[in-house]
Amino acid sequence: MKRIIALTLVFALTASGIMAADLPKLRVGYVPEPAHGLYFLAKEKGYFKEEGVDVELFQFGSAAEGVAAVKAGKLDVGTFGTTAPLLFISKGSEFTFIGGMMIGGQAIITRPERLAELSGKDLKVYKGKKIGLVKLSTGDVVFRGALKKAGIDVKKDMTFVEFGSAAAVVEAVKKGAVDAGLVWPPHFSLAEKHHGLKVAHYIEEFYPDYTCCRIFAHTDKVNADPDTYRKFLTALIRAYKFYKTNQEETVQVYTKALKIDEDIVRNETYVKKVADSNPDPLRKGILDFWQHILAAGYVPQDYPVDKHINTQIYKDALDSVIKKNPKEKIYQEMLAFYKKNN
Amino acid sequence: MVGGRALHYLNFIAILVVSVLSGTVATSVAATTARTIRLGYLDTPGSALCRIAAEKGHFREEGVQVELVRYPDSVKGLEALEKGAIDVGAFAVRESLRAIAAGKNFRIIAGGGTPIKNSPLAELDGDLQSENESQGILLLIPPEWPNSEKGTIIQLTAAWIRAYRTNQQRLSTSSGRSVNQVHFDPNPDYWRLERIWRTLALQHPEMKRDYLASHVYEEIYCDALDRLLLGQIDPILQQLFSKAICTPNCCPANAAKN
Repeated sequence: MKRIIALTLVFALTASGIMAADLPKLRVGYVPEPAHGLYFLAKEKGYFKEEGVDVELFQFGSAAEGVAAVKAGKLDVGTFGTTAPLLFISKGSEFTFIGGMMIGGQAIITRPERLAELSGKDLKVYKGKKIGLVKLSTGDVVFRGALKKAGIDVKKDMTFVEFGSAAAVVEAVKKGAVDAGLVWPPHFSLAEKHHGLKVAHYIEEFYPDYTCCRIFAHTDKVNADPDTYRKFLTALIRAYKFYKTNQEETVQVYTKALKIDEDIVRNETYVKKVADSNPDPLRKGILDFWQHILAAGYVPQDYPVDKHINTQIYKDALDSVIKKNPKEKIYQEMLAFYKKNN
Repeated sequence: MVGGRALHYLNFIAILVVSVLSGTVATSVAATTARTIRLGYLDTPGSALCRIAAEKGHFREEGVQVELVRYPDSVKGLEALEKGAIDVGAFAVRESLRAIAAGKNFRIIAGGGTPIKNSPLAELDGDLQSENESQGILLLIPPEWPNSEKGTIIQLTAAWIRAYRTNQQRLSTSSGRSVNQVHFDPNPDYWRLERIWRTLALQHPEMKRDYLASHVYEEIYCDALDRLLLGQIDPILQQLFSKAICTPNCCPANAAKN
């Protein structure tokens, strides 16, 4: 009997090893922001393997290096903002956006004594002010779009002071060199925690559901094997449901994986809800973002970016999950969101 | 007790001597092993940034040892760059882009000087403007430049930017009529090069859409600017930074790398 059990175990282990070895592999690049934790949830809960894909995660601190790695074929998937892949696409790189990782997430910080002056629901409070920001960051591009929608001329009505890093923006706000600064997670939480600065506004208040980090891959790879990418996105859709319904465990997974302060992760993810770790491709958001980049003069000529967005793979992934879980409310909400934003 | 004190002092002196000798040896070792970068250039006003960087000590400030090697024309210079006779080249835009179109895998890391032609037509006509810009200077490296020496190239580019700043400061303080027949811009500026590339009809159907972009290494220029912006920021550097299109880094310094 023992021999039978032992043989069964050996057989099962061998079979799983063979199966893992047979699974198509995806090398996925990401940056250590709280909203990128969806990858780690999918890995931790075994969703990638269950859906039939073997994912290896690679952390980058530089979006440019990460995108270059996708271009060079060293990564199969990249999650490096929206600006970086769009800039590369405008210069000829054959990338395709297939999903998302983060919606929202940018905030305007200021010194506590300036908070009252900058409060309110109207962006006009920033007229005449000096705003520190990192050029070409998501916040820079989206904020310009929000200001334009509010009828504010960024060239005449305010002054942007460009810095090379979020840390430099925080420093400038702290010293009073600028009236407010635009940064992304977890920088504004760190600024609040370590420097006593305050969040005056989240950009979401003026520009709901804007794109932040997108998931993209080399077009040739997506076209050659859309099924593997569909399995990858299916796992992320399932991870999204877990993230929505299991707060404490999600915080633990995010904290451990991204090595960011647990309180900050919890606060940003579930208390203040500064960003949504949403795998939706957000096609309309990408197209709007591209228009803001053009309006800012960062790229001198237009390009049909829509050719580089594939929403069908995500839709197929979502449909497959809904088919297996027809009564699950979160998946139905994701479908409604998809229809509205793509 | 006296003996003990003497021994103590002798020990101290011995340690001091050994430390000094070690330092001397270490310095000598460092000096003999620090690579000298051979920078090829043309004897034209557009290459002035090379000579300014050398004469004003900017290469030294950035910790790179550079030997300037003069070439009579860009074709010979690019041949030398390809063969490895030099490590970096400051050569004409037109010849450099033609070499790249012909399959030479050079990478462009910075811009240089472009002769100014005071023609109202050139300002209105994009093709004429590109034609003029094609006579400017580019800084290029060969494809074999090792990744492990990326830091050296960033330092060299930072020295190049310093030279630009020195030149701009000189221009802003010079009295009397300034004879400035060259426009300098250390930014490799992909979109300007793309315009020149199109004017010269260098994109062929068999080339990938990102062929030129793959040879313009803007990341080096951006890293060099970041390096200089860590120090005192002056209006000249701030202006360069404002014009540059550099993808921002995202993450806090304490984020661990895999």
